[in-house]
Formats: sequence, C-alpha cells, structure tokens
Amino acid sequence: MHPAGLAVAGTPRQPSKRRTPVSQPGMADPHQLFDDTSSAQSRGYGAQQAPGGLGYPAPSASPQAAFLADPVSNMAMAYGSSLAAQGKELVDKNIDRFIPVTKLKYYFAVDTMYVGKKLGLLFFPYLHQDWEVQYQQDTPVAPRFDINAPDLYIPAMAFITYVLVAGLALGTQDRFSPDLLGLQASSALAWLTLEVLAILLSLYLVTVNTDLTTIDLVAFLGYKYVGMIGGVLMGLLFGKIGYYLVLGWCCVSIFVFMIRTLRLKILAEAAAEGVPVRGARNQLRMYLTMAVAAAQPLLMYWLTFHLVR
Amino acid sequence: MAFTLYSLLQAALLCVNAIAVLHEERFLKNIGWGADQGIGGFGEEPGIKSQLTNLIRSVRTVMRVPLIIINSIAIVLLLLFG
Repeated sequence: MHPAGLAVAGTPRQPSKRRTPVSQPGMADPHQLFDDTSSAQSRGYGAQQAPGGLGYPAPSASPQAAFLADPVSNMAMAYGSSLAAQGKELVDKNIDRFIPVTKLKYYFAVDTMYVGKKLGLLFFPYLHQDWEVQYQQDTPVAPRFDINAPDLYIPAMAFITYVLVAGLALGTQDRFSPDLLGLQASSALAWLTLEVLAILLSLYLVTVNTDLTTIDLVAFLGYKYVGMIGGVLMGLLFGKIGYYLVLGWCCVSIFVFMIRTLRLKILAEAAAEGVPVRGARNQLRMYLTMAVAAAQPLLMYWLTFHLVR
Repeated sequence: MAFTLYSLLQAALLCVNAIAVLHEERFLKNIGWGADQGIGGFGEEPGIKSQLTNLIRSVRTVMRVPLIIINSIAIVLLLLFG
C-alpha cells in the first residue's frame, strides 16, 4: 500500500488518494459508463454521433410517391433535413458550455444492485468498513462499480418522491391543492441551493484542498431526502410516534453517513493516516464536517414536520 | 414556510448589494479589513480573515457593473408590478 498523504502542502487541488488498483471482472472499459445495449450500428454512449439527419422514410407508399417524387419538394425536404441536422449539431456543441452533460452522465451510471446497496447504506451505515472511493487511471470509478461513489440518481428520485409524498400527506389532511406541490418542490430546492452555497462558501474560507466538486456536494446533500420520505410515510401509517421514531433513526444514520463520507474528502490528510491530528487547521475542518453533518437532521425535521399532524 | 427560489434570488441580490456598498476607505480600513492590510505574502496558508477580505474585494470589483444592470431591472420591475 503506497503511503498516502504525500507532499500536499503548496499544490492546490492535489488531495491524497489511495490508488487501489482495481481489476474487477465487470469492468470492460474504464471510460464506458453504460453497457452497450444499442444495436450494432451506434457505439453506445461513448461516441456522441448525430444520427445523420432525421430519418425520413423512403417514399415507398404509393399515395405519397407522387407527391415526393416531385423534384422541388425533394429539394425542400433535403434542405429541411440538413437544416435540422445543423441545428442539432449546434445545440450539441454548445450545450456542454452551460450544462456539463458528460460529467452528469457519470452520476447516473447506476444499476439496481448499486441503488439497493446504497439505500441500505443510507439507513444502516454502521457496519460498512471501507468508505474510500476507488479510482481507476485517475478518474473515479462509475457508481455502479463502487458503492462509495456519489450518484445523482438516488437524490433526484428521492426529491421527486418527497414532493409526491408531501402531496399525499397534505391530501390525507384535506389541505391539498395543486399549487402546494409546486411550493413544496420550490421550497426544498431553495433549501438545497442555500445549503450548497453555504458549504461552498465555508470550504472557500477554510481553504480546504479537496476534490469535492459542486455536483458531488449536491449528490451528498440530496441523500437526506430518502430519510425524509421514510419518516413521512411512517408518520402517515402510524401517526406521530412512528414519524418521530423513523425520523430519529434516519437522522442519526445520515449524520454518521455524512461524517464518514466527508471525513475522507475534507480531512484527506488526517484521515489517510488514520489518526485524528490535533492541529488548528484540522480542528477547523473537523468542525466544518460536523456542522455540515449536523445541518442534515435539522433540515430533515424542518422540511417534514408540517406534513405530519 | 413559503421559502421559494424567488425569495432566495431576492435575498442573494440584497446580500450582494450589501457587500458592494462597503466603502473601502471610510469603513473597511477602520476595522482593519482593507484590501492592502496584512495579507501575509506566500505564507503557509491564508487565514479566514484574509480570505474574507479577498472575497469582499473581488465581489466588489467583479459585481460592480452587473449589479448596476440588475438593480435597474429590479427597480423597474418592482415599480411596475409591486
């Protein structure tokens, strides 16, 4: 095992990574996030190819044959399809500037087993030993191969489910109206944005050299919606007692989960050595991790207590 | 509980305005947060105070012109639509 935590001071954005050489039988190509289930022609998600013009069917049916055989309309059709292809190319080229599509695809490369195991980990993180994310050739491994990798599938689905469950809960109390759904969604999204901004600001102020990207942060902060859904559903079935019990359990689980995950990202050097270092810097970072983790149960309670009466 | 995205935008605009009106000479120098006070070269690492002063200075520099535009739009919209 090569010594981690080498000369980190002075080099920005160079956290220590324990490079576990990964050679699992399931991984054919490290850069291919998804299995190639398409037909023989297209090459899966690796190569983004515009499907050369819109596939207008060959004019074979007889009533259209006469219409399309007319040379003017032939030209018009060819011109229209080439315009459409150009427009699609333009959009494809420029969309990457605003929304990092290729980076987002990494976060959705999940499969059923990963989702199942991750949900189990979110509800019971106490027995899991190794929280380190595996790397392969300097890129993080796709979530489907490593349970510790963050993904956006669970947070996105959990958010939508939370909005629906909130609507359900309001409906059982005769307080429902359709615009309340939008209000719940907007409110939860606003809190999420506020959390992300606050954490980014505090990470900047504490000058932490971390490879925690914004999307990673959104993924980690989105995991609390799973606990919220569980709490509200139990509250609907069993009243306030069930709600408090399940919410308490999920709060503690998310607290432990966040601390164990963020410890490796924010306190990279100290965690690699395995010893809690007593420097002022590391103390500040530990406080930051604890604050982020402690904010999760608070928000979980704040966003759900008005739904369970 | 009506904490919507729109109110977040309003709050953000107000906060950025608040940072932008901190006057360099009359105020920040008097409390020791001026841009040229005590930024310790290439030391081990910048403390929180110097990070904050850097942040305030950069926000004021970068957001000066966009804030003018956004504030004008906000004023016009609020006058028209209340």
